Amino acid sequence: MNPYALSVDKLVSKARQIRRHIVRLNAGSPAGGHTGADLSEVEILTALYFRVLNCAPDRLDHPERDIYIQSKGHGVGGYYCTLAEAGYFPLDWLPTYQYPNSHLPGHPVRHKTPGIELNTGALGHGLPVAVGIALAAKRDNSPRRVFALTGDGELAEGSNWEAALVAAHYGLDNLVIINDKNKLQLAGYTREIMNTDPLADKWRAFGLNVTECAGNDMQSVVATLEHLPANGKPNVVIANTEKGAGISFTQGRAEWHHRVFKGDEITQALEELNDESL
Amino acid sequence: MSHSEHLASVMVEQFIKAVDNGMDLVPVLADSTSTAKIGPFIARFPGRIVNVGIAEQAMVGTAVGLSIGGKVAVTCNAAPFLISRANEQVKIDVCYNNCNVKLFGLNAGASYGPLASTHHSIDDIAVLRGFGNIQIFAPSSPEECRQIIDYALSYAGPVYIRLDGKALPALHGADYHFVPGQIDMLRHGGDVALVAMGSTVHEAVDAAQQLAEQGISAAVINVSSIRPCDTRQLLASLRESKQVITLEEHNINGGIGSLVAEVLAEAGCAIPLVRLGIGDGEYAIAADRAAMRAHHGFDAAGVVRTALRVCRGA
Repeated sequence: MNPYALSVDKLVSKARQIRRHIVRLNAGSPAGGHTGADLSEVEILTALYFRVLNCAPDRLDHPERDIYIQSKGHGVGGYYCTLAEAGYFPLDWLPTYQYPNSHLPGHPVRHKTPGIELNTGALGHGLPVAVGIALAAKRDNSPRRVFALTGDGELAEGSNWEAALVAAHYGLDNLVIINDKNKLQLAGYTREIMNTDPLADKWRAFGLNVTECAGNDMQSVVATLEHLPANGKPNVVIANTEKGAGISFTQGRAEWHHRVFKGDEITQALEELNDESL
Repeated sequence: MSHSEHLASVMVEQFIKAVDNGMDLVPVLADSTSTAKIGPFIARFPGRIVNVGIAEQAMVGTAVGLSIGGKVAVTCNAAPFLISRANEQVKIDVCYNNCNVKLFGLNAGASYGPLASTHHSIDDIAVLRGFGNIQIFAPSSPEECRQIIDYALSYAGPVYIRLDGKALPALHGADYHFVPGQIDMLRHGGDVALVAMGSTVHEAVDAAQQLAEQGISAAVINVSSIRPCDTRQLLASLRESKQVITLEEHNINGGIGSLVAEVLAEAGCAIPLVRLGIGDGEYAIAADRAAMRAHHGFDAAGVVRTALRVCRGA
């Protein structure tokens, strides 16, 4: 059971609150942040941690808990803000993001931060590990499900496709691969740097189910994650998102891959994310 | 001639015993069932191994996932492909995440001989010594291999075990007791200490015998536990001799030659050292073991030659 099980309306409000944390987190970081990647994944993480995942901060080591793997480790800012909001660690840790030896380094580190299941940051690592966790759960007849979030630029790493072969071969229907398809990577548009389209066709050719959703639309994300095909195959959700989503002047802008909010930008972003229900 | 055994067969026997004793052990392979000689395990426990195909990154990542899921995951494939192809998975997924994964580097060193350098692993110790927390062992005999594997399977954390690809004769009896970190002093001798790991320990033993016949007293030190390593004990063993020669089927940079050099230098100990192995800037030649070792000067004859030179200036 997810301890929150929020309605879609409440999830939308929660996502806005998480975006407000992301603005402050990156603005206060002494070493910058991956603002664009943090913002594109917000609906996915909010839906997972406040509705879909069977895991909770008071049972961190439960052997049958669902496992979430953040393969796009650079999106750690959004991940931290979600975990803090979900009670995995105090919200007052957030201002320590990337300070020397803090609980919140610039990529996920599981021995530093409660709730993190795998150290990631180098791309193409999450999926093979997620496959192993899903395989162990299958063999133990555990109800555990494993969710792995990748970027779309990250899918140029061949290890993802090795893992896809293994996932299909072993029929890992307890594995859900989510692609945060925000169409941008470090230096520009994914389709220009190394095109991964047609992405759905590739996954299907490897033997996985594919469902697409509007990745920054909470209703679409929730409906997709809650109605995945159950036919013995692993599932892929292609979440069509916008890098920097939710703030007018960051959305779809490559320069916000590694830029952070400064001065008036902070005020403007927080105003846009104002929520009278909070 | 004493009874020789393939270390991969020893490995598989220990796996079978571990599962029989209730360990939830899962071998993960990369189309390496024949390399690992794992047929008896498959026959005994059908459906237990995981074979990911020719995909070393997936092999190591999957093993890490299995360990997170509570299994004792052991990877079994040829050392060169494990260390080089899956290097970042070993570094990050296994070591940085501190997972309970045992990596078996099969046919290590230049065991594949004539198959040439793509199949040689003469850098594995150097690479893994650079990764902070992984324990590193190189058994020199079937009995030592058995004991190292039993220890590794009972230890919760990352381990690399370097296995030679040829059948190795007995060197240790059943009374041998492997202790992680400890130096195995096989022979004492004051003129020169021969320090070796894995299969080259046998060259050192042969060389010491030949040197004795020529009036030179050689110690033989087996460094099977590279991390942890009781460096004080190693230093004390080295200090019994006037000269030190290391020999390994590994590049002379980063293996036990380097380990011994560090120990001597950090102690301010001025015992002269010669490192034998694959020389700086070289690859192992593509040849059978005897020809390859003779070429690079670390077969028993080469060791004797070097020892005579350093002991007598011959």
